[in-house]
Amino acid sequence: MHPFSYTRASDTREALDAGRHGGRYIAGGTTLVDLMRETVERPETLVDISGLPLREVRATQGGGLRIGALVTMAETAAHPKVRALYPVISESLELSASAQLRNMATIGGNIMQRTRCTYFRDVTADCNKREPGSGCAALKGHNRTHAILGTSDACVATHPSDVAVAFAALEATVHLLGPDGERRLRFADFLLRPGSTPNREQAVRQGELITAVEIPALPRPLRSGYLKVRDRQSYEFALTSAAVALHIRGGVIREAKVAAGGVGTVPWKLPAVERHLVGERPSAALWTAAADKAADGARPLQHNRFKPELLKRTVERQLRVVGGTK
Amino acid sequence: MSPQPQAAVGAPLSRVDGRLKVTGQARYAAEHDVKGVLHAVIVDSSVGLGRITSIDTDAALAHPGVLRVIHHRNAPKLPYLDNPGSNNPQGRRLRVFQDDKVLFHGQPVAVVVATTLEAAQHGASLVEVRYDAKKPSTELAEAKPDEPTRYARGDAAAGLRDAAVRMDLTYRMARNHQNPMEPHATIARWNGDKLTVWDKTQWVVGTQTELSTVFDLPMKSVRVISPFVGGGFGSGLRCWPHTVVAALAAREMKRPVKVVLTRRQMYFGTGFRPSYDYRLRLGSDRRGRLAAMVHEMDAETSSYEKFEEAIMLAGQMFYSMPNVSQAYRKMPLDVNTPLYMRGPGFANASFVIESAMDELANRLGVDPIELRLRNEPAEDESNGLPWSTRKLRECYSVGAREFGWDRRNPEPRSTRDGDWLVGMGMAAAVYDPGRFPAQARVRLDADGTAVAEAATIDMGPGTYTSQTQVAADALGLTMRTVTFRLGDSLYPPTPPHGGSMTMTVVGSAVLDACNKVRGQAIKLAVEDEESPLYGVEAGDVVVRAGRLHVQGNPTRGETYQRLLTRNELTHLEADGAYAGAPEPARHSYFSYGAVFTEVGVDATLGLVRVRRMLGVYDVGRIVSPKLADSQALGGMVGGIGQALLEHTVTDHRDGRIVNASLADYLVPVNADIPDLRAIYLEGEDPDADPLGVKGIGEIVQVGVAPAMANAVHNATGRRIRELPITAEAFI
Repeated sequence: MHPFSYTRASDTREALDAGRHGGRYIAGGTTLVDLMRETVERPETLVDISGLPLREVRATQGGGLRIGALVTMAETAAHPKVRALYPVISESLELSASAQLRNMATIGGNIMQRTRCTYFRDVTADCNKREPGSGCAALKGHNRTHAILGTSDACVATHPSDVAVAFAALEATVHLLGPDGERRLRFADFLLRPGSTPNREQAVRQGELITAVEIPALPRPLRSGYLKVRDRQSYEFALTSAAVALHIRGGVIREAKVAAGGVGTVPWKLPAVERHLVGERPSAALWTAAADKAADGARPLQHNRFKPELLKRTVERQLRVVGGTK
Repeated sequence: MSPQPQAAVGAPLSRVDGRLKVTGQARYAAEHDVKGVLHAVIVDSSVGLGRITSIDTDAALAHPGVLRVIHHRNAPKLPYLDNPGSNNPQGRRLRVFQDDKVLFHGQPVAVVVATTLEAAQHGASLVEVRYDAKKPSTELAEAKPDEPTRYARGDAAAGLRDAAVRMDLTYRMARNHQNPMEPHATIARWNGDKLTVWDKTQWVVGTQTELSTVFDLPMKSVRVISPFVGGGFGSGLRCWPHTVVAALAAREMKRPVKVVLTRRQMYFGTGFRPSYDYRLRLGSDRRGRLAAMVHEMDAETSSYEKFEEAIMLAGQMFYSMPNVSQAYRKMPLDVNTPLYMRGPGFANASFVIESAMDELANRLGVDPIELRLRNEPAEDESNGLPWSTRKLRECYSVGAREFGWDRRNPEPRSTRDGDWLVGMGMAAAVYDPGRFPAQARVRLDADGTAVAEAATIDMGPGTYTSQTQVAADALGLTMRTVTFRLGDSLYPPTPPHGGSMTMTVVGSAVLDACNKVRGQAIKLAVEDEESPLYGVEAGDVVVRAGRLHVQGNPTRGETYQRLLTRNELTHLEADGAYAGAPEPARHSYFSYGAVFTEVGVDATLGLVRVRRMLGVYDVGRIVSPKLADSQALGGMVGGIGQALLEHTVTDHRDGRIVNASLADYLVPVNADIPDLRAIYLEGEDPDADPLGVKGIGEIVQVGVAPAMANAVHNATGRRIRELPITAEAFI
C-alpha cells in the first residue's frame, strides 16, 4: 500500500472542497481498500464521505424511487419500497458479494466499483485500464470471465456489479454534485465503454460526488427479477446474468426492460430483446425468440466462447421466470 | 498387563484446545511475540523464466523504516548441503538469492527488511528488478517428459486386444492449490550459531533438517516451533524458500525477522496438486470382469525437482485383473515444485478409475456397485499379500442402504425437479496411509497429572485431543489431568503430519510410552510392602481415574499420587516408540471408503449443485468421533471443490498464475455444501498398528470427484472427464 492521507468530510461542501483538490472519495471502502493493498489504486488523499447525509431511500414525485448514494447494499435490498416496486434491485443485491460486504458497501460505491479482471488487479501485468498504453493482457490471455460485448482492442474487462445491471435495465439516472452544481446522467451515459480509453470508466468529473441513483416511475403492475449464473452458489461474480422487468396488461407485454451482466464492459442493455417483446403475448416461443437476440454483436474470446449461448439461455430463463409462463 | 478400560478413546469429545482457538489465545506462526522482530516482505519475479539483469533498491532504501534489501548480489553464499529428506523431491532445490536465474513466475528475487510491516510492504513495491526474460514452458502438453516410472503385470496389450469390451478414455485434471486459511509464515531468531524458527509447518523435524542443511548447522542448533497450524492440506509438508529467507534475513540483520506470505504468494511460494493428463484404456468381458488396464499419466513437475506422488498404486491393487500396465511421466515445466495435497495421487487416480468403472457399468447395463463387486480382489494382486482389513463390500451395502441407492434410476435424464435434472452417483475410495517410525515421551508427576510430548503437529485434525485420549486411557487418567504437547523439535521426533499417519504412528508411540509408565507404576505398587497392591499379580492391576486397583476389586488399590509420594518419587517417565510398518510386510494395508452423492444439474444454465452426500469408511478404530466427522465432512468439501470449482489457471505466455487469490480461485462456500454425512464401519484393524486405526484424513477427499461426475452423468447423460466440471461442459 502506498502512503496516503485521510480526512473525514463533515458535510457536502467539505467533501467537494477536498474532492476538487484531488481527494478520492471513500465510503464502504470494500473495493478501494482492496485495490490500494494491491497497489492498483494509489490515491494520495482519501476523503471519507460516510458521514454525509446521503443515506435515504424515498419515493419521487413521479412515482419512482431515489436511493441515496450512501445507502448500503444491504439496506437497499431490504428496503420495503425497493422490495415492493423493484424486486429486480433487491434480488441483484442479495445475489452480490457476501453479507459482510453488503453491510459495508454503498450504492454509490457499487456503481463506481472497478473490474475484477485479474490482469487489472495484478500490477505486474499489462493493463490499459490501470496503465494506459501498456496493452491488454486479457485479450489473448486467460479470458473466461471477460466481456463479449462492448469490448475494444484496448480492454475486454467486464463491469462486475449486479445492481448496475438492474439500474441499466430500469434506465436509472445518476445524480451528481460537483463544484459547478448538480447534474444528472442517464445510467447508460454514466458508465463508459472502454474504446481506446479504458482507464475512463465513469463520466464523473474530478471532485464530483454521486448523491443518488434515481429509478424512474414505471407502469404498474411491474414484474421484475434478476438471475445470476455463476460457478458457485454464493460469493462469486456472474458468468452471465439477466435483469428483467415486464409490464403485462391485458395479456400483452406493454413494456419490457432487459439488461445483462457478466458479458459486457458495461451493464448491457438489450433493446433488441425489449423491442421483440413489446406488443406480444407471453409464450415460451416468444421468450426463445426474444432471447435469441441477446448476444447480437457478441465477440467471444478464446476462453469464453460459451458465453453468447449461455447469455441467451440466461435471458430466456429469466423472461420465463418473470413473464410467468412455462 | 491387563488391558486398560477405554473411557476417552471412542468418546465424542470436543477439542481440548477449542477454547484457546475460539478465544484467540492459540498462537499461530506469525503471532508469536518475539522481541525486537523486524518485518520482511519478499519481492517475487514478475517474469516466468530468465535472468535478473539489474536490481535498483534506491527508492526502497530511501523509504522510512526500510533497513535493507537482500538479493542475489549482496546475499551471502549459503551451504545448501544435500538433503534428500524433508520431503525434498529428487533434484536441485531452489536456492534463495544465490544466483541471477529465474526458474518460475513468482520466484523470490529479493527481500525487503523494515521496522514495520507497512514499510516493508511499500519498500517491496519500490524495488525495481529488470530481467532478461524468456518464454517459460508451462503447458503440460508441450513439456518434454522424463523417463516414465513403469509398472506391469501380465500382458496388458494382449489383455486389451482380446477383451470383449474395450474403452479408451482421456481425462484432464486441473492444478489445485491447498489454500489453508492461515498463510504460511516464519519468524526466525538467531542466538549466536543457534537458530530458532516459529513456523507454519506440518513437520518440525523436516524443517529443522532442511534449515540445518541449508545453513550447515548441527541439527541440535536448529529449533522449530509450531504449536498451532491453521490448516495445511499438504502445503506445510516441506520447508519452503520463505522460511530460508526469514532465517537468512535474521542472520544478516542480527535481529529476529518475520516473513508472512500474502495469499497471492501462497500460489507460487508453496506447492500445489499437479495437473494431470491421464489416458486409461481398459478391457473387460461382457459381464464386466476386468481383463486389463493401461494407464498413461502425465503430471506437472518443476524444471529443477522431480515431484512424484502415489498416482500408480490404486491402479495396481484396487480391482482384480490379470493385466496392468502403467507409465507415469513427470513433465518438467517452468513452474515451482508441486507438493502433496489432500488424498495425494489417490484423489486423481480415483477420479479416472472410478469414472471409467461407472462408464463401463453404464455400457454393460450393470449396477455400478455390482460391477465393483464382480471385480473385488481376494488379495492384493500387486504383491500377493492378504489384506489386513478390507471391508469395501460392507461400505457398499451400508452406503446403498443408508443413501437409498435403490431409488436411483439407472437411465440418465430420468429424474427431474423443476429446471433441475437429478442424478445419483457413487465411487469407491482407497488410500495408503503412511506408517513411519515415531517416538513420544510421557511423564507422570507425583501430583497425579501427566504430560505427553511428541514433535508432531495439529493442523486441524485434532492431534491435541486424540493423543490426549490415547494417553489418558493408557495411563488410567482423566482427560483433564493429561496434557499433550506438540509442535516443537525438542520433543521426540515424528514423521510428517500428513499421509493419514499421525493417529497411527504418533498414537502408537504415545500408547507405548504410557503403557511403560503405567507398567512402572504397577510394578512399583505390587513390590511395595506398604501398598495395598503388594503381592498382586501385575497383570491383575488396572488404573482408572488415577487410581491403581485390582481388576474386579476396585476397593483394593491406591492413587498414583499416594504411590509416588510415599516412594519419594517426583515422577515416572518413559520414552515410547512406534517402529514403523513391519518388514517384510505381512499384510496389505489400506483405508477404504465408498462415496454416494446426489446432484442437481441445470443443464440449460450449466449449473451443477450437490444435493446430498454420504461417505462410508473402513478406516479402523475411530479414536475421536467428533474429530473424525470434522475430517470426513471437510474432506468431502475438498472433494466438491476439486470436482466443481478448484482450478489454478496459468497464463502460458509468461507463466503467471492469473487467479492467485481467494476471489478468483474458487473453493466451495457454505451455500455450495448441502447435507453431508459420514459413517464409519465398526471395528478396528488389529494388523494395522497397536491402536487398530488406519487413518482418515486423506481418504475422505478420495472418491468424491468421481462420485460427482458419475452423478452428473446419471442426471444428464453427459460424461465429463475433465476437472473441474464447469458450465462450459453443458453449453
